[in-house]
Amino acid sequence: MARSRSVGARILCAAVFILLETAAIVMLNHNNSMQRLWTMRLSHGFMAKTWGFTQKVRGYFSLAGQNEELALENHRLREMIREYEDAAKATDISLQSVTRDDGFVYTPAQIIKSGTNSQHNYLILDKGSEDGIVQNSGIISSKGVIGIVDAVSRHYSYAISFLNTEVNISSRLGGTGAVGPLAWDGKKTDGAILKEIPLQYRYSPGDTVYTSGYSVIFPPDIPLGTAGDASIINGATNEITVNLFQDYTALKFVTIVRNTRAAEIEALEQTREDKDNKRKR
Amino acid sequence: MNKDGHILTYILFVVAQMLLSNYFHFTPYVMLTILPVLVLFIHPKIGTVWAMFIAFGTGLAVDCFAEGLIGINAMSLVPVAFLRRPLIEAIFGNEPFELEESVSVRKYGVARVSLAVVVVLAIFMIIYTAADCAGTRPFWFIAAKCGASIAASYLLSMLIINQLTYGDRR
Repeated sequence: MARSRSVGARILCAAVFILLETAAIVMLNHNNSMQRLWTMRLSHGFMAKTWGFTQKVRGYFSLAGQNEELALENHRLREMIREYEDAAKATDISLQSVTRDDGFVYTPAQIIKSGTNSQHNYLILDKGSEDGIVQNSGIISSKGVIGIVDAVSRHYSYAISFLNTEVNISSRLGGTGAVGPLAWDGKKTDGAILKEIPLQYRYSPGDTVYTSGYSVIFPPDIPLGTAGDASIINGATNEITVNLFQDYTALKFVTIVRNTRAAEIEALEQTREDKDNKRKR
Repeated sequence: MNKDGHILTYILFVVAQMLLSNYFHFTPYVMLTILPVLVLFIHPKIGTVWAMFIAFGTGLAVDCFAEGLIGINAMSLVPVAFLRRPLIEAIFGNEPFELEESVSVRKYGVARVSLAVVVVLAIFMIIYTAADCAGTRPFWFIAAKCGASIAASYLLSMLIINQLTYGDRR
């Protein structure tokens, strides 16, 4: 009883101390701009150190999962190399000739801040314009699409996460199936909806959904998730639920992809639009 | 000395501090203060929470009526009140609180009282000088000002301690 009273008294003392010190600091800051700047600098320094420390701790404890992911990716890459080597041997051509130049430049990056709790989630990556990152670059991982770069500073990039109700990604159902926009369902971090799939197209639940390659942002054939149930929308198209492969809550390392031919493709599209407009006039 | 006498003595010393703050600026390296000693010698019957409120009020009164930054004395004095009990227990033991009698030079000796005075002055001066300079002065200036101010304030504090040790004068 006496002990709990002593603990209570200590908590009361600490609370009164914090209250009075805060009041004094507020008064000091309110009346003097120099002291206000000083306190802000101290608090920002403290916050930066705390934030950096918690990030380090979080990174350390997620190492096991990341190692496992890397090992799996290594295994998959080795399998791919073996397949290419086999193909090269079979057709008697060099390995170089089967390697496809798809015009995409890949830059590994680390997420330094991200959110998954709102309808408009975003990411901040540790690569910026100095690393060759430009606006509208795609962000991918071995398990899917992560987002699109929206703004770039010298050392950092701000990206809109795929977990954002405004983002649509052109996707294909199955290896050679129908193409439609894939968007986050806004409810779960591993749920998405594949829209505008023609009614006549037949598929089986469990089929893999890939990027279509029809956009200039993402390369084709990145596996995104597996198809689930379908529902008919306005009697015209199917909407298919997709279970995403990527766990967005435990994401640390990603790859930024930049299409070096994006400008050329967009310029071609623009020329075509200009011609159409002239014809209409 | 009765309770009213204690309060009156305390108020008189607070007024004396206001005069010191207003009129006794000899050099930028020395700031004279007796406030930490006033808080240290608040009667042991008064608990830490009330001591912190008294320290806050005292600091604020000096801030308002003396030249200086509003809140700086209050901010520097509240930690002294917060650490007053553990400091007294560490240097003088539990006796002052058990017997509810003030710490006195006659009972505890000059050395132990001086140690307590220097520690509270150091706590006060470090916070006060750091906040006053607000990161605009180099470390050596802050260290020199703290050292000189603690030395000068220590001498002044030892002069008034006899007036604050109520039990000693009965």
